Amino acid sequence: MVLELTDEQKIWRETLVAFSRQELDYDMTAYEKGDLFPWEAWRKCAEMQILAQPFPEEYGGGGVDFMTTMISLNALGYACKDAGLVHAIATQILCGLQILHFGSERLKQRYLPLLCRGEKVFAQAITEPGSGSDALSMRTSATKKRDTYILSGSKTFITNGPIADVVIVFAVSDPEKKSLGGISCLVVEDGMKGFEKCRPLKKMGLSTLQNGELFFDNCVVAFEQLLGKEGQGAIIFNESMEWERSLLPAAHLGTMERILEISVTYAKERHAFKKPIGSYQSVANKLSSMKMNLELGKGILYRCAALKDNRKRAALDASICKLFISESLKQACLDAVQIHGGYGYMSEYEIERDLRDSIAATIYSGTSELQHNIIARFLGV
Amino acid sequence: MEKNLMERGSEMLTRETIRQFILSELISDDSRVDLTDTVQLIDSGVIDSFGIMSLLGFLEENFSIQISGDDLVPENFASISTISDFVSQKSC
Ligand SMILES: Cc1cc2nc3c(=O)[nH]c(=O)nc-3n(C[C@H](O)[C@H](O)[C@H](O)COP(=O)(O)OP(=O)(O)OC[C@H]3O[C@@H](n4cnc5c(N)ncnc54)[C@H](O)[C@@H]3O)c2cc1C
Repeated sequence: MVLELTDEQKIWRETLVAFSRQELDYDMTAYEKGDLFPWEAWRKCAEMQILAQPFPEEYGGGGVDFMTTMISLNALGYACKDAGLVHAIATQILCGLQILHFGSERLKQRYLPLLCRGEKVFAQAITEPGSGSDALSMRTSATKKRDTYILSGSKTFITNGPIADVVIVFAVSDPEKKSLGGISCLVVEDGMKGFEKCRPLKKMGLSTLQNGELFFDNCVVAFEQLLGKEGQGAIIFNESMEWERSLLPAAHLGTMERILEISVTYAKERHAFKKPIGSYQSVANKLSSMKMNLELGKGILYRCAALKDNRKRAALDASICKLFISESLKQACLDAVQIHGGYGYMSEYEIERDLRDSIAATIYSGTSELQHNIIARFLGV
Repeated sequence: MEKNLMERGSEMLTRETIRQFILSELISDDSRVDLTDTVQLIDSGVIDSFGIMSLLGFLEENFSIQISGDDLVPENFASISTISDFVSQKSC
């Protein structure tokens, strides 16, 4: 397995870094105040084919491998300060991957071109008010009635939910069965009777990300909107997590690289007691730890992408990747604020925003505690 | 069609390999010694949503097969017997 970027991938990353600096360098404060979604930036990313990357060309995709897709997210995480936008883009791609790998030909043709062009916003709805970590103990039901499913229940914390045109909803289709076999996935469209989206929830960070509750009140969904087979929901969830726990950390690692660069520059420029603060070991140690975690993170991230590109299973690696990189990012942001002292605490320096954003990374896509549990299960304990 | 001796031998070996994996990796307290070929692994909770992840990894690695898309249905992993049939079919 080659864990190096090709020259083409390196050039693509540089291109996206330049694109982000030029086109996505908007003033975040205006968006933050109103918790607004950056539609113009979304459209620009769609034009750059970022949303389309891993999908076959016949569906309007870019036809590139998972490694290249991951590099794109990494470049955005590095050069775009709007982590909310980057998360929304990752969610769009992840929904597409579920449709690509499990959808019928009809679903692929209907949705993938719209998803690739960014014309429709996609969301995936698993979490419920009463079940998050224990996601498969969900209660939303999909009851079969002739050639339809009747969907009832509610979902919460759904990324892109409030602006979604299409939602992949996980629901219990057979309450008699265990979660493995009893859960199915339905593709629900905005405007279907009985489907209601709520206003975005106020959050600690990721301010532009539109995240909220969805309600299903006897929503009638045609049988052909079933994603995969009936009862395949838990397995689709597991498979999806392998991509998700590589793709989201790719962006986080990009952010970590930016944080490290900013911190190193500051540690060289800022003087205290007549010396650059970087010359003090307790400051330098924070920087060397960031660098160490960045390089180690790269290793596990590239490994996950290579496994997926080689059509290999990456559940354990993806959990390690997600846990290690999200926790490293949170620590890097905390340390960066500390290195910047009072300035780090002020909004103007923008590091405090990265810190607030980074905390979510240890919660979504399975909390850090859950990743530890998964890794432990792989150890047979 | 009647299976020849070689085929039956290899099938037995496959089942045994799967059984050993389940006993050592998926059943923590080792209490389930009566793990017959037809015990319903999912319904009885021996394989849950975590367990299926390591089982799939094991099957792919051990039998050099790829499991994706339509293959990933719970029915294929319902018992040692169905897993073994599935592995044989994928190995052809
Ligand atoms: C920004 C953001 C975006 C999100 N996007 C989506 C989305 O698009 N779609 C979606 O479906 N969901 C989404 N979520 C929801 C997210 O997946 C859940 O918040 C997460 O899985 C945790 O669930 P919970 O919030 O219910 O916490 P709980 O499950 O209630 O956990 C609370 C605490 O208990 C700990 N805990 C729980 N069980 C165990 C255990 N067995 N062992 C050790 N510790 C345990 C947890 O680690 C956590 O610290 C998003 C969340 C956030 C913050």
